[in-house]
Amino acid sequence: MSSIRSRDVAAVAPSFLVWTGFFFAPILYLLVVSFWRVRQYKLVTDASFDNYLLAAGEYRHAIVFTLVLAALVGVVTTVFAFAMAYMIRFHAGRFGNVLLFIALTTLFGGYLVKIYAWKGLLGSTGIINQALLAAGLISEPISWFLYSPFAVVITLVHFLLPYALLPINAALRGVDDAPIEAARDLGARPSRILIDVILPQCERGILTAFALAFFVSAGDYVTPQLVGGTDTFMIGNFIQSQFVNRMNAPVGAALAFATLLMTLFVVALVSLLYRRILKACAT
Amino acid sequence: MTLRTACWWTFGILSAAFLVAPLALVVAFSFGENPHATLPFGNPTLQWYRELFAGDDFLAALRNSAIVTSCVGMLSAVLGTAAAFGFTAIDRKVSRLGVQLISLPVMLPPLVLALALATAFSATRIPLGLGTVIPSHLIFTQPFVLLIIYARLTSFDRSLIDSARDLGASSLQIFCTITLPLIAPSLIGATLLAMAISLDDFVITFFTIGGGMTLPTLIWGMLRTHLDPTINALGTLVLVLTLGLSVIAFKLTRYRG
Repeated sequence: MSSIRSRDVAAVAPSFLVWTGFFFAPILYLLVVSFWRVRQYKLVTDASFDNYLLAAGEYRHAIVFTLVLAALVGVVTTVFAFAMAYMIRFHAGRFGNVLLFIALTTLFGGYLVKIYAWKGLLGSTGIINQALLAAGLISEPISWFLYSPFAVVITLVHFLLPYALLPINAALRGVDDAPIEAARDLGARPSRILIDVILPQCERGILTAFALAFFVSAGDYVTPQLVGGTDTFMIGNFIQSQFVNRMNAPVGAALAFATLLMTLFVVALVSLLYRRILKACAT
Repeated sequence: MTLRTACWWTFGILSAAFLVAPLALVVAFSFGENPHATLPFGNPTLQWYRELFAGDDFLAALRNSAIVTSCVGMLSAVLGTAAAFGFTAIDRKVSRLGVQLISLPVMLPPLVLALALATAFSATRIPLGLGTVIPSHLIFTQPFVLLIIYARLTSFDRSLIDSARDLGASSLQIFCTITLPLIAPSLIGATLLAMAISLDDFVITFFTIGGGMTLPTLIWGMLRTHLDPTINALGTLVLVLTLGLSVIAFKLTRYRG
């Protein structure tokens, strides 16, 4: 069966045709467009790096702000998901299955509904402010709950938590009990066991969870637009606006690819540093 | 119960509440008389659902969503399953690379994908509509079917097929009487999952549909214009459909996280 039969090629072909026509070719075209220009609402095909220089200049702050906010979302989501997965693995019993079921169920549904639910929750007349007022903890509604970076972070963490939980849960389930018990019998503290035994074995799951949360946050424009207000413009908003309002696809495309490159760089950096950070924590 | 266990349980219950509460509130508001997203909910009512179902926009969006979701579900099932069969028959190294390539669109931010598609459609002068939405959805739904069926086929008992062939069954007979019945639960599950993902998609749909609307783009329109209380009824409907499809899908594929 080492040679490839024509029947198998025919079986894979339709899938690859759709992939080529509606994914590979359009992405490649967008990459080419990112080097072009727009003059009088028409694409001009003279290639230059001007759009990328614009991304590195005028839009540098927006890209950096987006990466920082996305990294924050990535870290918060990963830590939260790890705590949940840790509880499911070591402390929850059957309740763990309930948590996993909730995460699985809410995984693929209600993207927009989740965002606008937070819009209602966080508003100055929203339920959270109502509850805090009723409890007497605050005397007037907290206005920075909504239309702020805080709102963007909490909304994205809520949306991404199920995505982060699954890979970390799978990784923790694969951790063997024996070395943990051995370490405990030898008198290691729980924090020591976590850093020396558990976290090194969960490297892939944790990095996958972080990368997923980081990528999605860095590329999102709907959340900042709906709950971020005027001071939380993320790069997605600028990209979207270049296409929709300014009809400038080249600049939008260059911004998209520049951001994509930066996110890949950050994820590669985090992957490289993971072991070193653990080692630094251990000493 | 020790103090430590109690702390972990409190954390677990709070995180479950964090995940569920925002969605539960949308559902609760959709059945209450209070038109604002504040407490109390007010008396129970179906008023918002009546208003929603009376709107022409909603009926058009529901129709479009039904067309897109069912076409995307069926096409993903056929393409993903065919590809999974092809990949299981060829060399492991080649097939792993192929599966990863097909799965690539899922890793990319939807906005980049949406803009690439919109730009390409405009350059090739393909008119936008449901005909452009369906293949656009297909590229990020077919990987899920492929991955699920591929995993099912690699854990498959080959001796059944070998003995059927030894007894003189044709390839078609083997497929119809052995393979298909065995993978049917995974296949239905994978198809429903593809449908849930398609039904819920907003970003790609928004950039590839042109003038029309689906349920998510209708929600978006309602959010942009005014605070319309029927949005909670619409949101509940989308939640019930997408989460319902997901639950059945995970039950059928026996995926437990």
